[in-house]
Amino acid sequence: MSRLLAAIPLMFLTGTLVFFLIQFNPVDPAAALLGEDASLASIAEKRAELGLDRSLLVQYGDWLTDVVRFDLGTDWFTGESVLTMFGDRAPVTLTLVFGALAIALVSGVGLGILAALKAGRLPDRIVTVVSSFGMAIPNFWAAILLAYFLSVQVRWFPAIWSNTRTETIGGWLHSLVLPCIALGLSAAAAIARQSRSSMIAVLQKDYIRTALAKGLPVRRVIRRHALRNAAIPIVSLAGFQTSALIGGAIFVESVFNVPGLGSLGVDAVLRKNTPIILAFVMVTTFVVVMVNIVLDLAYAWLNPKVRPG
Amino acid sequence: MSAHQSARSRFWSRFLRNRVSLVGGGYLVVLVLVAAGARFLTPHDPNVATRFQDFLFPPFGEYLLGTDLVGRDIFTRLLYGARYALFAGAEAVLIALVVGVPLGLVIGYFRGWVDRIVMRFVETVVAVPAVVMAMAIIAAVGTGLTTAMFAIGVVYSMIITRLTRAEVFAAREELYVDGARAAGATDRRIMWKHILPNIAPPLIVQTTLLFAQAVLAEAALSFLGIGASAHQASWGRMLRDAQDSIDQSFWPAVPPGIAVFLTVIAFNVFGDGLRDAFAREARGGRVGVGDVEAVDPGSDPVPPSDDALLTIRNLSVRFPRPGETEDVSVVSGVDLDIGRGEVMALVGESGSGKSITAMSIMGLVPDPGLASAASIGLDGRELVGLDFDELRRIRGHEIGVIFQEPSAALNPAYTVGRQVAEPLEVHLGMGRRQARARVVELMELVGIPDPGRRIDAYPHQFSGGMAQRVVIAMALACEPKLLIADEPTTALDVTVQGQILDLVGDLSRDLGVSVLLITHDLGVVADLADRVAVMYAGEIVETGRLTEVFADPQHPYTEGLIRAIPRNEARSGELPTIPGVVPPPWEWPDHCHFADRCAHAGDACRVGPVPLQTVGASSVRCIRAGEVVLRGVRAHGGAAS
Repeated sequence: MSRLLAAIPLMFLTGTLVFFLIQFNPVDPAAALLGEDASLASIAEKRAELGLDRSLLVQYGDWLTDVVRFDLGTDWFTGESVLTMFGDRAPVTLTLVFGALAIALVSGVGLGILAALKAGRLPDRIVTVVSSFGMAIPNFWAAILLAYFLSVQVRWFPAIWSNTRTETIGGWLHSLVLPCIALGLSAAAAIARQSRSSMIAVLQKDYIRTALAKGLPVRRVIRRHALRNAAIPIVSLAGFQTSALIGGAIFVESVFNVPGLGSLGVDAVLRKNTPIILAFVMVTTFVVVMVNIVLDLAYAWLNPKVRPG
Repeated sequence: MSAHQSARSRFWSRFLRNRVSLVGGGYLVVLVLVAAGARFLTPHDPNVATRFQDFLFPPFGEYLLGTDLVGRDIFTRLLYGARYALFAGAEAVLIALVVGVPLGLVIGYFRGWVDRIVMRFVETVVAVPAVVMAMAIIAAVGTGLTTAMFAIGVVYSMIITRLTRAEVFAAREELYVDGARAAGATDRRIMWKHILPNIAPPLIVQTTLLFAQAVLAEAALSFLGIGASAHQASWGRMLRDAQDSIDQSFWPAVPPGIAVFLTVIAFNVFGDGLRDAFAREARGGRVGVGDVEAVDPGSDPVPPSDDALLTIRNLSVRFPRPGETEDVSVVSGVDLDIGRGEVMALVGESGSGKSITAMSIMGLVPDPGLASAASIGLDGRELVGLDFDELRRIRGHEIGVIFQEPSAALNPAYTVGRQVAEPLEVHLGMGRRQARARVVELMELVGIPDPGRRIDAYPHQFSGGMAQRVVIAMALACEPKLLIADEPTTALDVTVQGQILDLVGDLSRDLGVSVLLITHDLGVVADLADRVAVMYAGEIVETGRLTEVFADPQHPYTEGLIRAIPRNEARSGELPTIPGVVPPPWEWPDHCHFADRCAHAGDACRVGPVPLQTVGASSVRCIRAGEVVLRGVRAHGGAAS
């Protein structure tokens, strides 16, 4: 609970930082909104309508009081409620991100441990090479390759993201596979590397020797004594990777036509659609903060030394 | 200065031996040359269509890599793309370094409120996903390759700031900083001339890896259309164009993707190579190894005595040496008998092979060691030739082990109760509840106060002495016949050493368990052991009853150990009475291993291997035994029955 409360000032600071940052842009959004032919008078009118004629601090105060009431404002171009737009699109992006994270954790931890147990031998070399490839492939390029070979060529998977309204659950899940793999690839590679090195480090520890000297079977030594301690740095990495996946989702979404936050964000950046940019930063940060809170709990569960009391 | 130089040359020799990193480095050199000389390598212009309507040509025809959707030569654009990739990466990394390094140095060095304010800002920026933050910055400064990479650089500068600060924090405690301050250096000078060179290695590695990330980021942002413009032949822009024509031709997406991929790999392996050259990672080994291999009994085997619980004959342990064809022996031809209820001390300096000897009894020689023996008999059962799983039923069940460092020997993630209960569950098939009751009994037995409550505590909540009692309880859980105590008091506070030794002695007497007590300190064994085996450089050099060995040592090494007793509290690793330390195993000679440190050694000692011979009630491995006069002490009683 105290962690949840600690997240609030962080969100406030991020929002404030970005709010003032965006003011640096010399482009007048009102003018951009109305096009090149707009008269000065109509631009001034539009500015007043958007509230841009007021002083910066007043604008900031307005924005802040709105945010506190969970009002993220309206899209300057369409007049749509930003909260509604994000309500539609955020779940899509989150599905993609958490799907990718799940794939990355399962395959990354599995491969990393396999490599650690076979350190210096063939499986280790293969995992090491594959993971350095995985970290170097741009995720959107992986998305293009997967879409071309696995959906256009052999038609195993749909090339376009679907939704549950038009598709069955099975069909929808089917359409998630490629985007999640494309997005999760680099995270899986990074997690595999981390798992390998932390597992190797843990296997050198004295308590592993103790466990063996107790006559425990090797499987039990690895599962009970090594894995849990090796998981501690992997949990830390998973927090960082979630943040990277949210950023990466923007690119993968553009290849698979995923109706998520990515296209919204890119479009907002190109047109300086301030309410959307602010919401984009706040919402993604919120997700990262929430994930880190969950990971903190996992961290404390794994590591009794940091538990209070 | 020479030490500095040799460290540097060792760095380069390690780095040059890493072939993968060299290939990565070579690729990067070629990339720079291509970027610089793109104009001379191709007749085409990267932004102008080759010829009217030559668009989407397949590769390996008229145009080496074909043409794109508006008829531009892909090969040409690829070469020019190297320019954009390198410039973009360099821009981002330079901004990150120029902002991050001084900022990190200053806040790490001065700390206080500056540090708190800057770090709050850094944490705020880092909380936002990097790409999203970069997009917000791009929204402020406008789109385009230069501004996009500026944004990426600003985000990376936060990473560099954090890293620099953390490294400065660590470095600030180092002696050289105090030294420089004492010599009157200014803060600025200390930061730039003393700290920065010392924290450079992790920064260099991180910079290389960030360069790879920047190349990826350039491609990604240009792909979205907020990086390179249509006139800039960047790899990301090429992929964007390829995506537009993907329904007509897939090919244009291939070359720029491979270019990004290879470039990122090159930077990554180069960075990894630098990291490995700065500090080598621990290499892993197999878990649970060391089935003992059977060998011939040797020339004339000593027959096992009838009342012996443990008999070891001709035990040897070899390790393969990297880069050498021949293995190196760390233990050779060890014979050892331990009677029932007897406390046997195995004594010698570190590096003499005591612990490895003990571990090989249980088949726990660390990978890649190879143990072999003619026989290891435990209570009439032959252990040589048993496989891992058969030995497993003996470990923790018939043989219990106490280790040197109790806090490291216990798993930090589990309560002590669960760890002590494990052998009960695995070997005796006890259920949770039954095991728990037995654990409380065991904890009481080893003198842990309030065991009913302490059973649910974690290892870090125990003092060293109490943690060692937990380890002893764990070792005794299944009522083993043999207890191996490997330097059980070395890591403990002097005040509790005696208590732990008394506990081991009492338990062995009360439970009738035999003990193999390994120590470098003869003083430890004086009150406890019945018999002593002295080990030096992989061989037993003297063995006999404790009282006799103490009173009348036959081997000069034993005499040295005895004379070292009173001064042994301060463990310096060197015996005060014998100069030098145990040489590394590959330097052990064929003749007497001790000759080079022995005050009594003569030419005859350097001729050939010395056999173990019987002198009185003891055995000794010295050709001058009985000839030189050695001084002993009167043991204070001992546990001799």
